Amino acid sequence: MKYLMIPEGILDGKIIPVSVVFMDTDSIEKSGLTQDEAIIRVAKEFSGPTAINIFDRNAITTSSDGLVVEGAIVRMGAADNGKVNPDFGILPMAEIPYSEERIKDEPHLIQWKKLFPGKKLFRGPDPAKKIIPIHNVTITGRAANNNSATEMMNIITMEELIFPILGQLECINHGNVVVGYTGEEISVGIGMTVAEQFGRVFPHPQFHAGETAHDSGAYAKTLKRDIPCIVCDKKVIAARTIRALQCGCVPARELGCSPVVLSVARALGSEIAFDRIKPSAQAELDSVGCTREWMMQKQNMTPEEVIAHADEILPGIADGKKHRADEIVFEKELII
Amino acid sequence: MKWMHTKLPEFIQKMHDAAKHNNVEKPVQIRGLENLKSAKMQSLRTGRIEDAVTELSQRDDIESVDVVVMPRVPETMHTVLIKGKDKDGKTNKIILEVMNIIHPTEETEFDGCTDIEDHRPRIGLH
Repeated sequence: MKYLMIPEGILDGKIIPVSVVFMDTDSIEKSGLTQDEAIIRVAKEFSGPTAINIFDRNAITTSSDGLVVEGAIVRMGAADNGKVNPDFGILPMAEIPYSEERIKDEPHLIQWKKLFPGKKLFRGPDPAKKIIPIHNVTITGRAANNNSATEMMNIITMEELIFPILGQLECINHGNVVVGYTGEEISVGIGMTVAEQFGRVFPHPQFHAGETAHDSGAYAKTLKRDIPCIVCDKKVIAARTIRALQCGCVPARELGCSPVVLSVARALGSEIAFDRIKPSAQAELDSVGCTREWMMQKQNMTPEEVIAHADEILPGIADGKKHRADEIVFEKELII
Repeated sequence: MKWMHTKLPEFIQKMHDAAKHNNVEKPVQIRGLENLKSAKMQSLRTGRIEDAVTELSQRDDIESVDVVVMPRVPETMHTVLIKGKDKDGKTNKIILEVMNIIHPTEETEFDGCTDIEDHRPRIGLH
């Protein structure tokens, strides 16, 4: 059975604190193993702390901003010294059933209805089915695979990797990524979520579009500023954001009001729900230059222009270096 | 409830005493309780841990015993008190926050050893 991996170590001078393994449901099914067995089996190949993510390429998921994207993590694991902790080492994500009620409660999911009818949606786990009480995390030894597999840590060295879903999807799809440090805008942006049931970070609808989960004022820009990250090329997130806007989603109304989402809407000259941005969220946005005045300077570019100039338009990432995913991701074969 | 819980200092002493045999005391190092000044330790489990210290310390191939305490569920929720004090040390204002802490699991203490007996009940069955 083939799998992909990024080794623990140093990448462009950034610490990668755990090895990261990507497997997919189709390959696991062909192997005859269950998903849990596949995680336990691949863990034996690694002596160091390891995060293990299983993707269903036929399903969909959401980003923290509320973008709906193709490919979903359906199970995650953490391993260390070749072992998976029997209590805390594996966690499945919950399938979110489609309903019009769901679209009404989570209006960013209009993208599901318009773009991906019939596809299964996965985000985070069902909180009733997990033992670790707060975070959506799997832990074995030194390895923690957190926030439904998008934040990986070595708990002993305390080093962390932020690995958003779009970055992971570029890795498994042989796309294009940027390796860097998160920077102030991403530090602010990851707190600007949408409210979801069984979300990747929050189990219940908690922080709606226009609000901030961080609620830390000027400290929001430093909370997660200096963390190594592997993200998608800015052209990719620009395209996905434009796609969401074209489905009728509006920043701070259906989509989160992160600096990235706001910068795309501003560049297009499309609607931003200014009055829905809460004062606490605005204070954090102000601290990274995304003031109300800045948002109102509409530029009326075409989608193609925004994507072509994504590196200049979209903020975020410090000391970043672009890579083809195949430069940092290695294919391995598991003998079953 | 006089007999049901062991005082922390007595727990620590019991661990050292459990490694004494025929006037010979093998060293016992206790880790993971440094943060606690006062605590009541579950007596039923204290006794089983004493048994385990005795069993290991009586082996000829074992010279010292570590007793390592770590959270069973590796995420713990804590209250954080931010206390503002005046020049005389009097507390004038307190803000309460919550902090969730992620801990490593027991595999970090296995040291490559493969002879492991797990006497713990499964989660939810204790």
